[in-house]
Parts: sequence; C-alpha cells; structure tokens
Amino acid sequence: MLAVLVGTHGYFATELIKSCEMICGATKNVKAITLVPGESPDDVVKKYEEAIGELDTEDGVIFLNDLFGGSPYNAACRLAIGHEDYGIVTGVNLPMLIEMVGLQMSGDVAAIKEVMEKARDAGNMGTQTFHTSDIKEDEEDDL
Amino acid sequence: MKIVLARIDDRLIHGQVATIWSKVTGCERIIVCDDEVANDSIRSTLLKQVAPPGIKSSVVDIEKAVRVYNNPKYEDAKCLLLFTNPTSVLRLVEAGVDIKTVNIGGMSFKEGKHQITGAVSVDDKDIESFKQLNSKGIELEIRKVDTDKKVMLMDVLK
Repeated sequence: MLAVLVGTHGYFATELIKSCEMICGATKNVKAITLVPGESPDDVVKKYEEAIGELDTEDGVIFLNDLFGGSPYNAACRLAIGHEDYGIVTGVNLPMLIEMVGLQMSGDVAAIKEVMEKARDAGNMGTQTFHTSDIKEDEEDDL
Repeated sequence: MKIVLARIDDRLIHGQVATIWSKVTGCERIIVCDDEVANDSIRSTLLKQVAPPGIKSSVVDIEKAVRVYNNPKYEDAKCLLLFTNPTSVLRLVEAGVDIKTVNIGGMSFKEGKHQITGAVSVDDKDIESFKQLNSKGIELEIRKVDTDKKVMLMDVLK
C-alpha cells in the first residue's frame, strides 16, 4: 500500500487528517508529522523515519508538505534523495489528501510519479472561486 | 435514466458526495429531488455551483423528477439522486421510478426526531415511509461512504 506522510509546521497535519476522516472515514497508512517550536529539522527527519518504519511502504511513500522550502519539506527531501519510490508534493490541502486516501482505498497501484501528479492536480483543482456574478443558467438543459 | 445511486442525505451535495460517491458511482449528473429545495432559489442556485468537475447538478421537485426519469432524452444518463427524506423517495417509487436500493448517508437531528445511528435521526413520518419502502422490497442501507460496512436501517429501527 502507498504510505502517506503529511508533514507540516505545527499541528496542521494532524488536524488535516482529522478533517479528511470526516469525509472519507477512518484512514489507514496515513501519518501526521509535525514540526513544533523548539524542534530542529533533524527531529523531523527522525519523526519521518519512525513513521516510515511503522507504515506499509510496499507501493512507495508520498510526502505531502505545507510549504515548499520549509523545514518539513527540506527534511522530506533528505529522505527522498536516493529513494526512487519516494515523492514529495507541496501546498497540501484537503482535496489533495482526500485524493491520496481515495487512491489507497481504491486498491489501485500507481508509479510514484503518477501519484505525485494526481496529488498536484487534486490540490490545484481544489482551488476555485465564487462570486455572485458567476451565477448563470444552463439554457441548453431542461433539467 | 440509469440511477447509479439513490441517497438520502440532508446535507445534499457536500464533501462525501462530491468527492467519494460521485467517483465510485461514475455518475454524469447529480439530481437533487426535493420540493422544498426546488422552491428555494438561493439553495438551488448554490447547489448548481458545487457540482464536482465534469458533473452536472440539478435541483427538481418530485413531480419534475418523475418527468425527467421518463424523458427519453435522459435515457442513458447515469444519475445520482439525492433526497433529504424517505417520503420523497417513496413518492418517486409510487410514481413508477425503479429504485431497488436506497443509501442513507445522513439525516440530521431536529426537534421531534430521534437518533437511530450517529448520522441518522428520524421522525414518525420518516419511519412510516421507510416501512413502506421496505415492504416494497427496497433495500435500505446506512453508509456514510462506500467503504463503510452497510448497516440495515430496518434492523436499527426496531
């Protein structure tokens, strides 16, 4: 199974997984990695390693980080170097995490680069806008 | 019309429906079937805005839902039907709409209702409608998302 590691500044990762579970039900093989004030990037690397040790990584490891260039991301990079089946995607949001959990639940196995693309697309698609002037009726449709 | 899922969920289109059910059912359309919502222009307008990418959403009253079901134009359309209560489902079934199974995702607690599971609360009218649907041989299963284990509504109603 694909292992999903959500690594963020503070408890964003923990809470994001809880939010995801409101929609998808209980998750399996997903872990939150937090960097809290006072901890160093080395601590985060250690937390990642421990988490990876506890997860099923048969189908690779995807790191979902909050900020490109931030410490959780930098620590993930240190682990991803030299591991062909590890991938990192930044800008984690709820749609991205739901997509990854959905992928785990579907039982489909994809190459890590394809998984990374799916995560990025879901994250991007999750950003939409609405303004009252956007409302329009579809006149072609009688429904 | 090919009904890929008939679901009672009074939150209508929300996270579980937009992300999970729309995908696992492969629906092309989400049709909210409810008299009250169809008459509420703000709610129905907003529901049309929140369809997941590539899926059309519509809001119709029960009478129109029956007409749409019988309209040859939508003969091959894969539709996910959403309801807020079982009485609307019963009205569709009584009008000849072929529904074999109903998924109950969420019915919120209100004054006068009693809670039968974490996500499902019913009043006397709901119970009566569920009993009639059950007597027609229609499966009534409670599941929030498709990977949940089905809980049979009639078992928890007792």
